[in-house]
Amino acid sequence: MVRGSRAHAGAISKALLDILVCPVSKQPLRFCQETQSLISDAIGVSFPVVDEIPCLVPRDGKIIEDKEKMTSANGPGSAHHHR
Amino acid sequence: MAVSAARVIAGEWASGKHSRLFPSPAAAITAFSFAIAGLASFCTEADGVLSSRVKIFDRDLKRKHRDRAAWLMGGKNDFVDSVAENLLDRLEDCKKTFSTALCLGGSSEAIRRLIRGRGGIEKLIMMDMSLDMVKHLKNTEQNYVSNNLETLYMVGDEEFLPIKENSLELVVSCLGLHWTNDLPGAMIQCRLALKPDGLFLAAILGGETLKELRMACTIAQLEREGGISPRMSPLAQVRDAGNLLTRAGFALPGVDVDEYTVRYDSALELIEHLRTMGETNALLQRSNILKRDTALATAAVYESMFAAEDGKIPATFQVIYMTGWKEHPSQQKSKSRGSATISFEDIQNHFRSNEVS
Repeated sequence: MVRGSRAHAGAISKALLDILVCPVSKQPLRFCQETQSLISDAIGVSFPVVDEIPCLVPRDGKIIEDKEKMTSANGPGSAHHHR
Repeated sequence: MAVSAARVIAGEWASGKHSRLFPSPAAAITAFSFAIAGLASFCTEADGVLSSRVKIFDRDLKRKHRDRAAWLMGGKNDFVDSVAENLLDRLEDCKKTFSTALCLGGSSEAIRRLIRGRGGIEKLIMMDMSLDMVKHLKNTEQNYVSNNLETLYMVGDEEFLPIKENSLELVVSCLGLHWTNDLPGAMIQCRLALKPDGLFLAAILGGETLKELRMACTIAQLEREGGISPRMSPLAQVRDAGNLLTRAGFALPGVDVDEYTVRYDSALELIEHLRTMGETNALLQRSNILKRDTALATAAVYESMFAAEDGKIPATFQVIYMTGWKEHPSQQKSKSRGSATISFEDIQNHFRSNEVS
């Protein structure tokens, strides 16, 4: 159950999102609403979020093949560097 | 540095739930064989990507063990509770409060249950390798509302800690880190995730753990197969623990050791206990075959060699407790060599004159 008092960034609590980084590169993660996953732009890998639980074991990560989709998934206003 | 105390805990950890899982003795024996099957040898085969890193444990299998532990959990586990209690007790020894804490895999359930407001923790992040374990922890959250903790959940690997630098005040790991291939590396990552003057608290199993089972395995294998192969993980020795903390860069390192003896009704029950804790063999170069004959012989040897007068089977668990702080200017430091201005002789004379007067 989701407690009302918690601030949410999509499905994950903001407090958690603030301290999470990519397990491999230790670079920031970006939450993607559309795919409900955490994306590490540094290595181009997405990590699933299951029942509000982010799964950040390197093996769970999926390499993002489709660069285009990655850009479109990147909502307006968020910093995305062209690769 | 090392304080050793022997404790005896009655082996009443099992609940009815477990006996239902293995209804027939035959099934339990299969489980036993599976649990102790495995060849322990240091694997030097390097992973292509991770270059020279030595791989000893199969982390994927360990993950499955943790999944299974999540399904089996629920019975009383006095051993784990005592270790968690002992570890958390250390929080009362310092005046500092720790608002943000990370609880690493292992016995995180016991840590959350026993924390009882210690250390002034406000935000607790629970991390485990197994999604099922994290889900279990999350689903039982409502039982601990009185803790007044904001609890956050995530799945992560201790070897690849996904936590931002300088973001935590406390890292607790209860019986989990001994399964990491690169223990110093994991500890360094913990240190980086800590804020300056943050505390690292860990309990790991030490080399004396399950020495009886080691002996029984050896004898049974010699007898049945005419040769031996190590069947259990290499574990850290007490003398290594201090070095580990210093190597990981922790200040004011502290290590102490406790030995627990858990008493079981039978050797098979011991194996079941190991399974509920997710502590069964996960060596990379393990053999998946253990003859039923050898497994039964192991249980028989164990019982004939170590059984107490009342028929109970003792098993030793050695737990190494490690404490380390992330460096901070406010921490006490030893002065540099040769900077002393008073000789020891003068100090001695001073005390002697005090004694006389």
